[in-house]
Amino acid sequence: MAVARSMRRTSPTSLVLAALLAFGFICFLLTPSTPSASASATSQQRQQDAAEHPLSPPTKPFLKSQPIRSDGYQAAPPVVHYNLNNLTSTSTSAANAERVLILTPLARFYQGYWDNLEKLNYPHELISLGFIAPKTKDGNTAVAALEKAIARTQSGPIDDRFASISILRQDFEPSLDSQDEKVRHKMASQKERRESMSRARNSLVFTTLGPGTSWVLWLDADIIETPPTLIQDLTHHDEPVIVPNCFQRYYDSSSRKWDIRPYDYNSWVDSEKAQELAANMDADEILLEGYAEMPTYRTLMAYLPDFNDLDPKRMVALDGVGGTALMVKADVHRDGAMFPAFPFFHLVETEGFAKMARRLGYSVFGLPDYFVYHYNE
Amino acid sequence: MNRHPAYPKGASAYPRGSNAFSISPNRFQPRSQPSLRRRRQLFQRLILLGGVSLLLVIFIFPSWRAALLPAISLGLLHPSADLQLQTVRYYDLSEVTGTEKGWERGERVLMLTPLRDAASHLPMFFSHLRNLTYPHNLIDLAFLVSDSRDDTLNMLSNMLQDIQNDPDPKMSFGEISVIQKDFGQKVQQDVESRHGFEAQASRRKLMAQARNWLLSATLRPTHSWVYWRDADVETAPFTIIEDLMRHNKDVIVPNVWRPLPDWLGGEQPYDLNSWQESETALALADTLDEDAVIVEGYAEYATWRPHLAYLRDPYGDPDMEMELDGIGGVSILAKAQVFRAGVHFPAFSFEKHAETEGFGKMAKRMKFSVVGLPHYVIWHLYEPSVDDLRHMEEMELEKQALEREEKERELAQQKEGTQVKKAQDVVNGDAAKGSEEGPIAHAEKNAGKGSSNK
Repeated sequence: MAVARSMRRTSPTSLVLAALLAFGFICFLLTPSTPSASASATSQQRQQDAAEHPLSPPTKPFLKSQPIRSDGYQAAPPVVHYNLNNLTSTSTSAANAERVLILTPLARFYQGYWDNLEKLNYPHELISLGFIAPKTKDGNTAVAALEKAIARTQSGPIDDRFASISILRQDFEPSLDSQDEKVRHKMASQKERRESMSRARNSLVFTTLGPGTSWVLWLDADIIETPPTLIQDLTHHDEPVIVPNCFQRYYDSSSRKWDIRPYDYNSWVDSEKAQELAANMDADEILLEGYAEMPTYRTLMAYLPDFNDLDPKRMVALDGVGGTALMVKADVHRDGAMFPAFPFFHLVETEGFAKMARRLGYSVFGLPDYFVYHYNE
Repeated sequence: MNRHPAYPKGASAYPRGSNAFSISPNRFQPRSQPSLRRRRQLFQRLILLGGVSLLLVIFIFPSWRAALLPAISLGLLHPSADLQLQTVRYYDLSEVTGTEKGWERGERVLMLTPLRDAASHLPMFFSHLRNLTYPHNLIDLAFLVSDSRDDTLNMLSNMLQDIQNDPDPKMSFGEISVIQKDFGQKVQQDVESRHGFEAQASRRKLMAQARNWLLSATLRPTHSWVYWRDADVETAPFTIIEDLMRHNKDVIVPNVWRPLPDWLGGEQPYDLNSWQESETALALADTLDEDAVIVEGYAEYATWRPHLAYLRDPYGDPDMEMELDGIGGVSILAKAQVFRAGVHFPAFSFEKHAETEGFGKMAKRMKFSVVGLPHYVIWHLYEPSVDDLRHMEEMELEKQALEREEKERELAQQKEGTQVKKAQDVVNGDAAKGSEEGPIAHAEKNAGKGSSNK
């Protein structure tokens, strides 16, 4: 009865204040001084991997709070050592906790792409993402949609979050305003388009690679379906450059069912005819694949799968690669292999990249029976 | 009864009854019924009991804390520090394209220095760093320590720590990365083998590889400029970054010379990798194998190219520019844009060149401007070659022999009982004469040796 009377006598305002105080006190008592292990299995690791200062490799998240010097100035960035001798890229990438950087030149945002990315079952704390988008209206729309998707994922369950995400905007004009399929694939506009694409890819890889990346996975924004084990499967072969076969699902109106057809023709084995063509070319001309005006008679990986006897582990050595999905050991990029934005042995972009990688002494392989799927416009 | 002049028309902001002053603190308030009151007490006790037991449970089972705390704290408190991480970064590359007045616009410069067995050069290098006038907080430093057998790494990190903790807040630099990577370099680093013709091609390819590793690990989307600077530069203007930046070129290099001892002629062009392409060299390149690498400055490849180094006039205009095709790597200022576009140091034969010369060629291929400043000179450290060292040793021996002779003469004179003062004068005179004679005698013998070293 005494308790009740005392409560009756206090005014509601002081009761609310007292409750607030008690609540604050409890929270103060309970807030753990160290991150609790039970929140997430990976949060401890994520915490340790984080950089101290915002001036750090984009492949690392950084601490939001920054230390202050005793004289009141913001503390100078720390001296950070990176021992690249210990950096490995092996066939057991997940077990060795090797970091993967997924790079995507972004022209349009497809929800299917992001959903597929989230489904990858390689440990997400080892995956960093990098995007580059042109500074155009289309680019703005794509980035806005991307940021929305990122915000959702990065505030969701800790284990599903990616280690870090960088969004870059290009410092040069894209060659074409239209991303329309017909215009995009016209032969005359190909050289210009692919040179601009090369610059975008190089800008992306050389600013985000950082000192901790073991593998770089190039994945185009319109790849909407891959096996969830894509990273493990591609790194399993332990090859410097490896490319799966890029197909497209379509509705076959004659047979009235869904079917698949080849999409990316840039992965090929060179032919004598193509070499001959190249030899007679001007230094600034390029060889293109998949155009009737220029028959090269190269062996295209797109036509290699034998659908009666698919073996996803089958490898073929290639001379040119496509960039829709492409796994590269970070060392290859570190040695300087890039996407030539000029005719390099009459090749540009990803095909030129394969040539440069081979000149640096790396081998290039394709997986004809391992499919990833392109968006159907 | 409206006494407010604020409402001249008699309209008020909110409706009021006819009686505006109806506040009555002593209004009658009906009491709740006793049964109702008892029920409320019961509720209060139950809530109190529940609260206390929840508190106990939370204290006893720590694993509950993580699950409960976010719910009861309404997201105001974070249960784990994981949420204190910033994971998303946004960069607009069109804001970091590089302009001629970078220091005013706060443009970040990445300064890159490859090091190998360079402990002896570090103190000199750090004094240069401290003296740089470009705002230090805008400079990010990156070092590559490779295949070092001396104390380079330890010394470097100690000196970097010191500079970052300097009491002067303007002294500390931006991001500092020390990259360790061994490339298994078999080639010796001493002057003799470093410049031998045979070793050049493979050595240059390894150097190129090292440069690419350093760059790709440390270039960030925030950089507007990249400045390559070797650790063994002895003298350079403090304002070198601004001086080169002011020209607003995509790639720019100063002229690099080195001082020599007087008996070798006083000074000499050092960096012969900065040149303009010549017809002869292009014709030569056509005859060579696809993987061959032309290295400049060797009799084996007579290219007849105009070299930046030889065009120096000590009294010339330091702002004069010269178009180049190949460049040397002692001190290069380039826009970060160039590297972002994919230009790098080819570790393969690119148009018959590798490393910095190939870099110049590739930049040109991608239509970037590549210039050198013939009359703006920085001085590379003079490291005596084996031959030079031998000669210096001989000179030293000769000098010592002379001194001994003089001493003997002095003793003899003292024995003869001559005045001490007079003897001293004679000795001094002889000594001065002796040290002049030695080098002159050797200078003729060594004429032209300097230019054959590089």
